[in-house]
Amino acid sequence: MQSIKHIAILLPDTLQCLGLQSLLVNYFPPVEISYFYTFEALVNSHCDIFDYFFTNATLFVLNVDFFLPRRSKTIVLTADSIEVRKNTSINYVYVQASQEVIIEQLKQYFSGDNTILSNDSNKELSVREVEVLQLIVKGGTNKEIADKLCISLNTVLTHRKNITAKLGIKTVSGLTFYAIMNGLVSGEDIEL
Amino acid sequence: MPLVYSNMQMSEVVEEHLSLIPVINRFGIRLGLGDKSVQEICVEYELDCDFLLTVINTFLNEEYFPEKKLQTFHMSQIIDYLIKINESYLRYQIPNIERHLGSFIAQSSGPTNSTLCLIGKFFQSFKEELMNRILKDEKEWFPYCLSLSERLGMNQVQGDSNPDLLLDLGNQVEDTIEALLADLKSIMIKHLSGNYNENLCYAVIFAISSLEKDIKQHNRIRFRILTPMVAAMEKLCS
Repeated sequence: MQSIKHIAILLPDTLQCLGLQSLLVNYFPPVEISYFYTFEALVNSHCDIFDYFFTNATLFVLNVDFFLPRRSKTIVLTADSIEVRKNTSINYVYVQASQEVIIEQLKQYFSGDNTILSNDSNKELSVREVEVLQLIVKGGTNKEIADKLCISLNTVLTHRKNITAKLGIKTVSGLTFYAIMNGLVSGEDIEL
Repeated sequence: MPLVYSNMQMSEVVEEHLSLIPVINRFGIRLGLGDKSVQEICVEYELDCDFLLTVINTFLNEEYFPEKKLQTFHMSQIIDYLIKINESYLRYQIPNIERHLGSFIAQSSGPTNSTLCLIGKFFQSFKEELMNRILKDEKEWFPYCLSLSERLGMNQVQGDSNPDLLLDLGNQVEDTIEALLADLKSIMIKHLSGNYNENLCYAVIFAISSLEKDIKQHNRIRFRILTPMVAAMEKLCS
């Protein structure tokens, strides 16, 4: 599951905005896009929530104090192919390139994001969660599990919620399957 | 997705959305649609065109769910449709999955592939849940709904959209039957191991996923239309 990318587009050209929007929506969902026709409108918004900024070379230069510290999050549209090649510290997209090339470039700029995300979400069950899971599978009620592990009913519920979130499995049958598959309980003493 | 309208050619609509075939079958409409429009088909089969279109459109569009409109249909119409859905689960969709699953397990498992046997058992527990619900529908729930509307001498009623009720319904929509199918599918995708027949596996997952979609649609009608209608009728009766 990817989190929503918040994207600010600062471009005076409506058609360019719309084209960029359709690329982002179709190829890089989920995205939430905000448009700004002037730099003033952008800084007057809550501009810190944005994960990425799109703008053109002119506006980048005019507002370099804003964009330079954010240059890793900023992507500059340019019609000047030479500029793209000589300057590697800024993320350029050459607007006359083919759609395929532009998508490839955007993919690269966005990819830094995904690696962080996958490291972030830890899908392994904790020792305690495994204990709770074993008891659920053996048919224990929440109350029985709480008593057995000497924890409160609320804690059991929290564990259950986390287990479901981590494994993506909602039903007891599904959890049983998972537990048997992973050797957390033996198949013989469980009725599926 | 654009909505389907009565002047559209039925064959074109179906060609575009093959998943509609079982839906129109439930209304008795059979393929060999020719060039007839939806309207003409409805005349031929003596169907309420408005109702058919609403069912088709809610089936195709997950975001499209005109609760008020659905509640203006007759209670008997809605029950009739739900009965037909149940029938098609029993006669076609469940046996279809079983057939594929049976040969999937038989042809895939060496003596050791216990994962597949577990999947088989898992499906059995889903089937049991579904059968129980269908049985309860036939014996208790549907007759009760119909008797309510008869007693009131009216066939339609605007459901109450009081927030407590809706909250309640929100919980019900988290349906075990739906959840079991979703789990079954994701377990197969994530945890299959050992030798198995790829082609049959795809057939099983495909069949499960179309039944899952179907049940989701069915549940929306059940929990968001029928239940509020019944609640409103109960209030009138008391």
